[in-house]
Amino acid sequence: MNKLLLPFILIFAGDALMAQTKVSSSLFSVMEARALGSGTMSGRITAIEGVVADEGKTIYVGTAGGGVWKSTGGGVSYKSVFDKYCQSVGALAIDQKNPQVVYVGTGESNMRNSVSIGDGMYKSTDGGDNWKRIGLDSTEHISKIVINPNNSNEIYVAAPGPLWSSSTHRGLYKSTDGGVTWQKILYIDEQTGCADILIDPLHPEILLASTWQFRRTPYSFNSGGNGSGLYKSTDSGKTWREIKNGLPAKPFGRIAMCLAPSNPQQMFAIVESSNTGLFISSDGGESWKSQSAPLNIVARPFYFSTIAVDPKDPKRVYRPAFSFSYSSDGGYSFMDASYDGAPIHSDMHAIWINPVHPNIIYVGSDGGVYMSVDKGVTWQFIPNLPVSQFYHVAYDMKEPYNVYGGLQDNGSWMAPSAAPGGIGNGRWEMLGWGDGFWVVPDADGKSVYWESQGGNMNRGILPTYKAESIQPQKTASEEKLRWNWNTPIVTGANNPHNLYVGAQYLYKSTDQGRNWTRISPDLSTNDKLKQKQEDSGGLSEDNTSAENHCTIFTISESQTDEKVIWVGTDDGNLQFTTDAGATWTNVSENIAQCGVAKQAWISSIELSKFDKNLVYVTLENHMYGDHTTYLAKSTDYGKTWTRISSTIFTGFAHKIKEDTENRNLLFLGTEMGLFATLDGGANWFRMKNKIPEYALVRDIQIHPRTHDLIIATHGRGIFILDDIRQVSQLRTEILDKDMYVFPTPDFVLSQGKFGYGGPNVQGEWATGNPPFTPPISYYFKNRLSSGKVSIDILDEQGNLVQTLPGTILKGINKVYWNLRETPPKVAAGSTKIDGAGATAPMVLPGVYTIKLNVNDKVYTSKVNCIHDGSNENLSPAQRKLVYEKAHELLKVYNNLNATIDSISLLQTQLKADTVAFAKNKKLKAKYDELQKIKANLTATKKTSIFADEEKIREQISKLYSAFCGMEAAPNSMQIESINYWSDEYAKQLALFRKLANDNKNKAPGKK
Amino acid sequence: MKTQKLFLSILIIGIMSFSSKAQTADEIIGRHIAAIGGTENWSKIKTIKMEMAMKMQGMEVLITATQANCTAMRTDITVMGMTGYSIVTKTNGWNFMPFQGQTKPEPMTDDMVKAAQDQLCVLDKLSRYKETGDKLEDLGKDDVEGTECFKLKLTDSNGQENTFYLDAETFLITKQTVKTNLNGQVMENSIGMGNYQKLDEGVVIAMSTQTQGGEIEVKKVVINPEVDENLFKLPN
Repeated sequence: MNKLLLPFILIFAGDALMAQTKVSSSLFSVMEARALGSGTMSGRITAIEGVVADEGKTIYVGTAGGGVWKSTGGGVSYKSVFDKYCQSVGALAIDQKNPQVVYVGTGESNMRNSVSIGDGMYKSTDGGDNWKRIGLDSTEHISKIVINPNNSNEIYVAAPGPLWSSSTHRGLYKSTDGGVTWQKILYIDEQTGCADILIDPLHPEILLASTWQFRRTPYSFNSGGNGSGLYKSTDSGKTWREIKNGLPAKPFGRIAMCLAPSNPQQMFAIVESSNTGLFISSDGGESWKSQSAPLNIVARPFYFSTIAVDPKDPKRVYRPAFSFSYSSDGGYSFMDASYDGAPIHSDMHAIWINPVHPNIIYVGSDGGVYMSVDKGVTWQFIPNLPVSQFYHVAYDMKEPYNVYGGLQDNGSWMAPSAAPGGIGNGRWEMLGWGDGFWVVPDADGKSVYWESQGGNMNRGILPTYKAESIQPQKTASEEKLRWNWNTPIVTGANNPHNLYVGAQYLYKSTDQGRNWTRISPDLSTNDKLKQKQEDSGGLSEDNTSAENHCTIFTISESQTDEKVIWVGTDDGNLQFTTDAGATWTNVSENIAQCGVAKQAWISSIELSKFDKNLVYVTLENHMYGDHTTYLAKSTDYGKTWTRISSTIFTGFAHKIKEDTENRNLLFLGTEMGLFATLDGGANWFRMKNKIPEYALVRDIQIHPRTHDLIIATHGRGIFILDDIRQVSQLRTEILDKDMYVFPTPDFVLSQGKFGYGGPNVQGEWATGNPPFTPPISYYFKNRLSSGKVSIDILDEQGNLVQTLPGTILKGINKVYWNLRETPPKVAAGSTKIDGAGATAPMVLPGVYTIKLNVNDKVYTSKVNCIHDGSNENLSPAQRKLVYEKAHELLKVYNNLNATIDSISLLQTQLKADTVAFAKNKKLKAKYDELQKIKANLTATKKTSIFADEEKIREQISKLYSAFCGMEAAPNSMQIESINYWSDEYAKQLALFRKLANDNKNKAPGKK
Repeated sequence: MKTQKLFLSILIIGIMSFSSKAQTADEIIGRHIAAIGGTENWSKIKTIKMEMAMKMQGMEVLITATQANCTAMRTDITVMGMTGYSIVTKTNGWNFMPFQGQTKPEPMTDDMVKAAQDQLCVLDKLSRYKETGDKLEDLGKDDVEGTECFKLKLTDSNGQENTFYLDAETFLITKQTVKTNLNGQVMENSIGMGNYQKLDEGVVIAMSTQTQGGEIEVKKVVINPEVDENLFKLPN
């Protein structure tokens, strides 16, 4: 063999190996998650911008963890336009000279403990349909984007920069080429970023920028330092000088600014300092004077950094912050917005005042977007932005099951996974207040555990929601209890009557929190240096339990043994007990050996259902500036660990979940995406499935009865990916086949559990229910670009019941059969649409054949259709009766249609010779007689949808449709009606036959 | 040996550069035109008639589309015993949809006519973009229902945007999205295309179209049938 060819052979052999089907999200595109939202409590909004040229009809909304949403109707409806990118948005800007150009700065800059992280700047040149990443990738947080109103290519970006680490990637950046290249034009040091930027609209070479020194650790926050300051440039950012005249003594914290568009020399600044307050300038920022310091001005400057002025009235000042307040005297005095209307949600971060119609204002809060049409006095809530920020999700075993979860600044909630008419905002019910985290239903079906920040936990009772505080208390022998901001409340996976909560100690209750037993020593590192939260905040004290540290963060009871409990802390400890808490083993040193960060938060622990020695753990270390996705696995009960990595992972890890049926199927949720593996972690793929590709996935559950994947996101609410069994079943031997038909589970003969339920189309967020029956599923290795797929359903006698069009997708295909036969054909000639043509009798119980036709190949399988035993209103005998009566009606209906067709045909024949028809009165009379019969048979007069007309066909059609839809025994009148309308039809048929016979007898040539 | 290594390196680099060479939008469109049968075959089509059916859980909606190339188009739709139609010409457009309650044909708005006129030619808009003068943008690759596709966008002088997703292997259109502003309403519709078949006339057409309402299957295609021009006029 020519040695020269050897490398090629190896190369192509490698290709052949690679040719093995690669598992990716492309195989599951048919599986689309349902977004339950909700829109009723929405989530934190970080930026709002509108298009001036269309007078504010087009609006973009940036969110803390839900991407960017666009409305082209002034906020009446919204569409998500940023689903493929980082979901944390800090700033938006529209080039008002060409409003198709939109910039997004990712990475929110409201620097609370739970703030997410961005990955740079994005630009769209087509109004948000397509985006391009344009740099500043490492800034992590962007607070403001400003475009020179006279030069669209000149863009300024204020980047506070990383929150959790020192960095040079912060400061004020400038582009002079529309975002192609960037220069840092104002930089203080690695601790200080740029918080705000103003550009003088009349003299855009004049800029005012505020710098901000700030830092978080997992256990403290500081806002303020000598790096913070106010700077002015009069040469487009080439040179800067610090402004001090009239400002309080340094150090400063965060400075928020605005100017009056109608008088740009008039400026306003909220300066955080030892004497925080509102300062005003009337000389373009050269000098300042103290104006006022009401509560809403000075409240939490690090979090409320927005102030705005009316575009036309320089005295009208708006302060969206802890509350919404407005001033009519240039910021000297403020009035809070009225509660007459929607009480606007506390904690606001974004405002857009329509420059053309300044009475119209949009504000973004921790609870969504509000709109005012009276300059901020009263507000209405925008109910269609499903950007709620869940921390966790749980489910119950009801039918349909409910989901439960807690939301950042929006309390604790529950909603059904399905409901009559779908799941709209109104289906969500609020159980508790505050920041919500764990919301866990009790096995008794009526109790729910929920909490607010810092471990304030309660037991609520459904359906009244009355709640009792159940938080364990310190005793004399214990240190002050340390409760995490996001304190774990967990019921046992093996014994659901076990209730666990964790401070630095683990507590257990077996009577729903009425009594507690401490079952561990302090499981944290108990590092005293990390327990000085009362000093947290910097210039403005801020201790809201968000920085509580050295606490238990994760609790997991084994699915197979209630005595086995694993616990993870926020300071790197991973401990377990095998004797229900009598003794504990700390394996944090062991896990650190595999290369995970030692002090990282243990974010989730998954104890395998299939192997008691198998444990998965996610860790996250972003509070030390490390965004690595940490996932580790132990197969020997924590003695040794293996790090599981993938080049496709993005974001720090929140949750690992093992499938309930396939031990090699794992799901991983991170700050930037949902990932899955079908081979136990060797190869991973990013799940899309109508879930934002970089969604902040905080929690994942799999419902054991429905096999639904339930996903909690911190910015896009709850997603349910219905019935993932086909994913569980995708083993290598199937993946490598060109085509595979999945076994079809039994079909329960029912139209589902719900009736009409009303339309969920009142402008609020709503999602539909899962399909009422399982699909017929098959797999194609590749998309079928040429050829046809159809599915024939045959009964036990081989009769064709219905033919369904098939899909041709790569990967899993799902086709739904409505469990009915084929609807009848409707005869033409009526002036009314006939509903019978859209329905057919539901099939009877039995074994049906599924013939999947793929071009010239046929794949045959069986499906068992079974009576719905849960329906007490319909016995098997009654089902048969309903079926037979529906067929009786169908027969009459088909005959009647045939008669109408025959009449129409005869009429056409009579009119065939138009000259003869015009001259021959008998022909005309006969035609009219036929028309009279037709008019008795079906609606022929109707000229408007408002003029209903019901003749024999319409009556039979209505009756037939009723029998087709029946899931209860028919009443006697319905059965009697069949005979009545059959007789009525028979009378008209007799008349027609007589006329038809007459016509035959008198046809030309007959004597 | 040294020579062999050099030769091997050149060969490998050559293969790699060939396989990884980015294709320009024009090259992609050229491959697409070839994949659908070439402009010469398409240019021979003066009229076309297609009989189609949309199946929804056994119920069939019958659709007949008759088209005079780049001149006029009529679509007849039969739903549960009633038939309606829409007509679009170079100057006008009408709808008559009795199943939606209309009792007589109603004129389309100017914006609707302009949008519908986009579809008057039998050859797809992407293949004609040089003659229409539409702005072409190459948006890279995107995943359509699991299939890697080239994504190309056309924007016409009315601002209507057509985004085409071409299967990266076959260069056939997998999906097309049309975004238009109809009388102040921004409308966006997507259709999927599949089951491409080569007709005797040499053109390759999609025999299956996926819409939000369901799949429309082409049952019969007649190329260059005689078409009465009265078909495109409103009945008296």
